[in-house]
Amino acid sequence: MVTESPDITSYDTQLLDRVEELRSDAGLMEEYARRLRSTAATLDGCPAAPEWSRPALERQAAACATAAEQLRTAAEGLFALARARD
Amino acid sequence: MRADGTAPGRPAPDGQDAREQLRRCARDVVDVAEGIRAVSERTSTVLFAPALAAAARRRPRAGLAARWALLRALTNKQGLGGSAITAPRGMGHVLGAAGEVLGRENLAALVAVTSLRLRIAAVLVDHPEFVRDPGMRRLTEAVTADKDLAAVRSLRALFRDQGAQRALSGLAPLMAELLAIRALLDEDPKNDETGWALATGRELSADPVHGISAAHLAGMDKGEGAAEAVDLTDQERQVIAPKGSFLGFLRNIEMLSTDGRILLQNVRGPDGVVRYVLQAPGMAPGRPRNDSPQDFVGAWRNLFMTDSPYTRSILLALADYGIPRGADLALIGHSEGGIAVMNLAQNEEFCRTYRVTHVIAVGSPVDTKKPADPRTWVASITNQHDIVPVLDGRGAGSAFDPHPNWYEVDYTGPTHEFPLCHMLREYIEHLRTVIPEARERVDEALTPYRGPVVRTQAYQLKDRANPPEGYPFLTLPTTSLPTTAGPIDVPVRYYDSSAAHLCYPVDADTARGLLPDVTWMTPSRAARRAMAVLSLYEHRCTTIGPYTEIALSVLVDDLWRPRPYDVAADLLRRVDLRRTGRHVLSLGVTSEEARVVAQEIWGQPALRVTAEADLMGREIGVRSPDLGLAVDGRLGRGMRCPEADWILYGRRGESTIRTLVRAHGRLRLHTGAGVRLRLDTAAAEPFAGQLRRLGIDTARPRFVLTCPQFMLHRSAGAVLPR
Repeated sequence: MVTESPDITSYDTQLLDRVEELRSDAGLMEEYARRLRSTAATLDGCPAAPEWSRPALERQAAACATAAEQLRTAAEGLFALARARD
Repeated sequence: MRADGTAPGRPAPDGQDAREQLRRCARDVVDVAEGIRAVSERTSTVLFAPALAAAARRRPRAGLAARWALLRALTNKQGLGGSAITAPRGMGHVLGAAGEVLGRENLAALVAVTSLRLRIAAVLVDHPEFVRDPGMRRLTEAVTADKDLAAVRSLRALFRDQGAQRALSGLAPLMAELLAIRALLDEDPKNDETGWALATGRELSADPVHGISAAHLAGMDKGEGAAEAVDLTDQERQVIAPKGSFLGFLRNIEMLSTDGRILLQNVRGPDGVVRYVLQAPGMAPGRPRNDSPQDFVGAWRNLFMTDSPYTRSILLALADYGIPRGADLALIGHSEGGIAVMNLAQNEEFCRTYRVTHVIAVGSPVDTKKPADPRTWVASITNQHDIVPVLDGRGAGSAFDPHPNWYEVDYTGPTHEFPLCHMLREYIEHLRTVIPEARERVDEALTPYRGPVVRTQAYQLKDRANPPEGYPFLTLPTTSLPTTAGPIDVPVRYYDSSAAHLCYPVDADTARGLLPDVTWMTPSRAARRAMAVLSLYEHRCTTIGPYTEIALSVLVDDLWRPRPYDVAADLLRRVDLRRTGRHVLSLGVTSEEARVVAQEIWGQPALRVTAEADLMGREIGVRSPDLGLAVDGRLGRGMRCPEADWILYGRRGESTIRTLVRAHGRLRLHTGAGVRLRLDTAAAEPFAGQLRRLGIDTARPRFVLTCPQFMLHRSAGAVLPR
């Protein structure tokens, strides 16, 4: 009886695709951080904006930036895995 | 589009600019939240990808580092956050749900909540009174602070404040936002999708409060529908408007009331063409379900599904009325009627059969609906304080306008109290006095229908598959008795109640001293002690309205031939054959109607008091500031008991009144160890003095009988010559 083993190289290709996805998501998160900061700046000029709004948005923008960094790190880790030799 | 660009009572353009700016910002922020959510989902997919698992098996060290980096990105509180792991099933699902249950919010949810809070801030520009309202402030704080229990308690307290109505209507403009925040922040992962739908303005497929799917609700509403032509009474015929007009049609709907009838009319337009108008009323607020499809479950179903017994019944009525194919038809509805007619307009087959020219919904949640024929002119009129139009999740604070082509008027009327502000009568008055321009605009659109009415026919709609509420237990012959509060149907039926009976052994002589001064009424004794019962009830739905009840009673023997162990023997008898019962010493109720019924029909010494009760869970609590009485405690598991039917005795003049109480629910017996009664009053009467004399104020109950949810009915009191 013959058992087929999974195609190892296809897994690595899939991983490389995921690496690209993570890098592009990191870029998106940076973009979101920028948008949240810009919203915070807009609210600065709005008399009805609640006091909490600017600090909350700044905090969330910072979290987006951190997430972007961590996604890049994760992408590098995945890249290293895809390229590592058995 | 609004009636005149600004609604009455709105602030100056500055305020409007600020509001618009806040809403724009809210839209931007929720877009970002959706983006972050998508990133979290994609990253979760990578973490659980088979490719990663296979590669990690081959290269464990590199695999571990990669997985660790991904896990850190998904769970770091400074980044994507606590429960950013999302997966439909398997370990990913468990991890994500665990994060949520542990209260670790993910960044996407927090950003979405920021958007919702900005929407609330936009509403507050128009409703500064909410900031000052302590109840509303408490609720808003509770909801945004992710304290589920506190939110529920605040809601309950608000609901009890002036009979729930002011609180509910006060909440209406913010309801969608508050519900979304709760859904996003609470510990229940099941309602997250509802929270996201509310936050992002997507179409809801679930009840916004509990996240229950509409398909599940639909299972409760399976009537095939039926319609029967019925005659109007002479009085009603006189009220029918002789000429087609917006207010005339609305008055017709008001005349129909909410008894399950709709109206179909032919009107001859100014061009001589005969057109057809369907007028559909809403559901009856607060009334139990009956055999009509205009009920609450029907309303929910109508809200989320296009097919319901109501719409099916209307189709049957239209077929019977004989409207020719292709004829012009205007559909006008109030409340649930508005949803039902909108459902018809959504139906492609219906729009192929008739040309639906107009759909006008008043006080209806129709935002998630869209007519099949793009030519159909749609108008939606809603009062911002009316809670019903918010049921579809789009409140005044919504940053989304799903139907830019509709004529929508969302105004602030002078009536804030629900259900008053939902009544068609109020809408008619507001269209006349507060937003006359909206009435003129709709009348202008209805010009082809503004001619003499040439035929009118009412139809009684039926929902044959739905048994009446409480069937079969509460399906009883009733008779009407006159009282000073108006005629009352007896037996009085209680559709949804909770109760806790705290049973105390008390000194028999003291109990005897509190009973009426007659020789033949003696307290039942067991081991030389009498039994006093402090009964606490939360009646949420009854035929005399919702109320809370606190009653102190003493078990008494057969009034004619008292024997030892009467009570024990009676427990083996059918309730209608029992001779022992509980003599009510004092009764406190929270509604005037309940007080009158207790006093005049059951002969019980009733007082109207303020009280609130929470008897549905293991933690029970009852407070009555007027009586200075509070009961708190935690109940153990307890054990099941047979249903507790009772005989209650009261006094009217020189007679004793015997009332038969039949209950249907799951009664449980608990020890009284965890329950404590506190008296914070120096007053002697009515309750406090009796409780002190019986020694109940310092004692723990021997046992507690509870029923978190049950039905009961109380007969008319039978007068005994004793």
